[in-house]
Amino acid sequence: MEVRVKVNGVDRSAVAEPRRTLSDFLRHDLELTGTHVGCEHGACGACTVIVDGEPVRSCLMLAVQASGSEITTIEGLMGADGSLHPVQEAFRDAHGFQCGFCTPGFLMTTVSFLDENPSPSDEEIREAISGNICRCTGYGSIVAGVQLAVERRKEVGA
Amino acid sequence: MSATIGGAARYVGASVHRVEDARVLTGRGRYVDDLHLPGTVHAAFLRSPYAHARINGIDTTAAKALEGVVAVYTHEDLAAGGVYPMGVPEGPPDYKLPTYTALCSDKALVIGDPVAVVVAESRYVAEDGLQLIEVDYEPLDAVATFEQATAEGAPIVWDGIGTNVMYREDIAVGDVAAAFAEADTVIRRTLVSPRMTNTPMEPRGGVCEYDAGRDELTYYVATQAPQLLRMFVSGLIQHSPTKMRVLGPGDIGGSFGQKVACFKEDVVVCWAAKQLKRPVKWIEDRVENLSVGGQAREETMEAAFAVKSDGTIIGIDVHMKMDHGAYPAVPFPAAVFTTLVRVMLPSYLRTPSYRFETTIYATNKGQYVPYRGPWAAETLVRERMIHEIAKELGIEMADVYRANAITLDEQPTKMTTGPTLEGMTVANVIERALEMADVPGFRAEQEKARKEGRHLGLGFSTFIEAAPGPADYGEITGLGAGRDPAVARLEPDGKVTVITAQVPHGQGHETTLAQIAADELGVKFEDVRIEHSDSRTVPFTLIGTGGSRSATMGSGAALVASRALKGKILEIGSGLLEVAPDDLEIVDSVVRPKGVPDRGMPLGQVAQVAYFMPPVGMEGGLEALDAFAQPPGGWVASTHVCWVEVDVETGEVTIPRYLVVEDCGTMINPAIVDGQVRGGTAQGIGIALLEETVYSDEGQLLTTTFMDYLMPTAAEIPHIEIEHMEFEPLAEVNYRGVGEGGTIGAPAAVANAVGDALGVSVDRLPLSPARVLELVDANQS
Repeated sequence: MEVRVKVNGVDRSAVAEPRRTLSDFLRHDLELTGTHVGCEHGACGACTVIVDGEPVRSCLMLAVQASGSEITTIEGLMGADGSLHPVQEAFRDAHGFQCGFCTPGFLMTTVSFLDENPSPSDEEIREAISGNICRCTGYGSIVAGVQLAVERRKEVGA
Repeated sequence: MSATIGGAARYVGASVHRVEDARVLTGRGRYVDDLHLPGTVHAAFLRSPYAHARINGIDTTAAKALEGVVAVYTHEDLAAGGVYPMGVPEGPPDYKLPTYTALCSDKALVIGDPVAVVVAESRYVAEDGLQLIEVDYEPLDAVATFEQATAEGAPIVWDGIGTNVMYREDIAVGDVAAAFAEADTVIRRTLVSPRMTNTPMEPRGGVCEYDAGRDELTYYVATQAPQLLRMFVSGLIQHSPTKMRVLGPGDIGGSFGQKVACFKEDVVVCWAAKQLKRPVKWIEDRVENLSVGGQAREETMEAAFAVKSDGTIIGIDVHMKMDHGAYPAVPFPAAVFTTLVRVMLPSYLRTPSYRFETTIYATNKGQYVPYRGPWAAETLVRERMIHEIAKELGIEMADVYRANAITLDEQPTKMTTGPTLEGMTVANVIERALEMADVPGFRAEQEKARKEGRHLGLGFSTFIEAAPGPADYGEITGLGAGRDPAVARLEPDGKVTVITAQVPHGQGHETTLAQIAADELGVKFEDVRIEHSDSRTVPFTLIGTGGSRSATMGSGAALVASRALKGKILEIGSGLLEVAPDDLEIVDSVVRPKGVPDRGMPLGQVAQVAYFMPPVGMEGGLEALDAFAQPPGGWVASTHVCWVEVDVETGEVTIPRYLVVEDCGTMINPAIVDGQVRGGTAQGIGIALLEETVYSDEGQLLTTTFMDYLMPTAAEIPHIEIEHMEFEPLAEVNYRGVGEGGTIGAPAAVANAVGDALGVSVDRLPLSPARVLELVDANQS
């Protein structure tokens, strides 16, 4: 059946079987391969995207359930001029990631979290990203990246 | 912290932003499942639900009839199609080397063993097809433990071999019996390392494309070793290696040793692509990865240490039992790993007498693959035993370290097992760690807390790592770093390409190697492009990245190839500027007489001459191939210090502080080094507290999801402090590997800290809450 969504501000549609996951739909039907699939059972967080303002594990949602929704994926974080999102910039400056596979999930989780809680404590940061697994970094640089994004946001008074 | 290669250092030593981040942070990385080749069909494997079963028949009729299914293959098809059985080609004498087929022929030997493959227009349809295949299995008793493997009347994993004991070895140095007779105390422990799995966030996968007109196969695959895979797969499917190209897709989502083997699925996918003349894609799911993606470290060590009353260790006797699962991973016999453990165990100790016995067993479990620091059992045994020695003698680990650690002024010398120790700074690293840890201060705090009913503990773990070690380490272990080649090229626009034999999968080689080449060639970091992971363009080395060799070998190769290119550039520049090559330099991408900034020629102009109007007698283009030979030394030394608090009611272990002191030589990019150290340590903490691949006594796998196979999250891993030490280098290339050390050091540090907190001997990992409560009970009873 036809699934229509607005992804990163653009109306997109494709035919998908009812059983097709949102992650497969985004990756293989819409060719937005920035969203990664790490476990297919909602435990690793790599496939996190934002659906109607909420972070969602796209491997646990069916494409048909997302029909009519507004979705933001990693491809939609950059500015129209190609500039990095402040969280992307902070992660770059903190050397946040290594292999990059879990990265899109951490970014979408963090962006969504900081929208809810713009000045979190270190403990709240660790708690917020504890649903995402990174196997490379030991998390220190990711936590530092989130902290840096928070500090910068405070500096510009946003 | 700045290096002094090739004149003024500008990039080496700086935490330059990673080149890779521009794509991985924006969703524009390219991992193997991101490839959408036109006409791709998708493979899914039917996998055995039994740990051990005879296969009496397979009926694929209904699956083949399903709309959208392109092909269904079983072993019979592969055999008829000329696919050879696979196996480890070489091992030590008497090492039993079974051969096996890529799809099960008569028996399935492990949960998840591939029995058939369905290739279909979509992955969904391929999985539908799996449901329609009928297999007549005759379940057999399985072997799930060492004990079962050698029990009377035990089932045999490999019928043709007739025993489950695949290898035995017993090697001694010095007079072990005399040492034990002379000892004041002999400490004995049996230490168990659990079975675990590498678990990169990206599972295994590949896409193979066949060009029928040229008879050429192109295999895009997440692998650490493209050339190795090319040689093995082409041989097994009888295809010319010259007409097979194996390359990374661009990015690889981690590996930690897993993606270095030639897997059954690689063979089937490449063969199927050739049959079907369509690209065949295989991406495993997490259940497959946790079942048959490769497992590691299930090792039991029966250890005895002969000690004098001052803590001097005069003799070591260890029997290591390893469970290598059913299938030896091509091309690594498990004896490779036990050999590394045997050679490395005496490590930095002066201990003259040493015996190491090895037994390797086959069981009906997943195959043993290298996992980040595959020899780490040596550190677990030695450091746990040093903790026990200290406890027994009523002294600190510090005292045992000081009584036994080889110091810099004793070097060069030999490790007990033979490798040359030179520039090995463990004694200095230990002293720095002790200074930072303040053991007496902690003991006071511990005592005070204990009165309040709180259980604090402190644990150390010290190791040295051949990263890559000296040449004789390679001769002794059979796993030498040898030489690493690289190509450096000045492009027509004056920019630089360096082709490395390293195969990055998270290490940031596109950044670190560019830092080195930019400094050597006097160009901007942004003007250096690193090319890698393509068997067609990369100079041949069998192993790409692995064994902590890339910091020295990959960097050294980038340096010598850049230097050779620089020589060629200066030669052309000499003709153009009429100045002797030795009197020229390259600064900011301009070739100029030394110290004369206004009389130079931009590299782009030199390149144009070289490419478009080469001087008579000179070959066109500007390219240099060179190989870097292993330098002396090559030892990394490190001490991990772990502070824990154990909740004796819940069994929970928390880590309020964690410190790593290490000497990896000059850091190319400190932020990348810190990332490697912290990432490795986090995996080691996972090993200590959480991770275990569990099979039932019937060989049924119980950890098939991330709900059962637990890995650390940001909530469990503390801030990890790092103290870098750097000593006088032995050689120009003084960068040494740090990728594996964290994972090697952490398990014993955490175990010792928990043992210290509870006053017990921690003999088995992981220290799950249930196991900690058992230890609490044991202590109270």
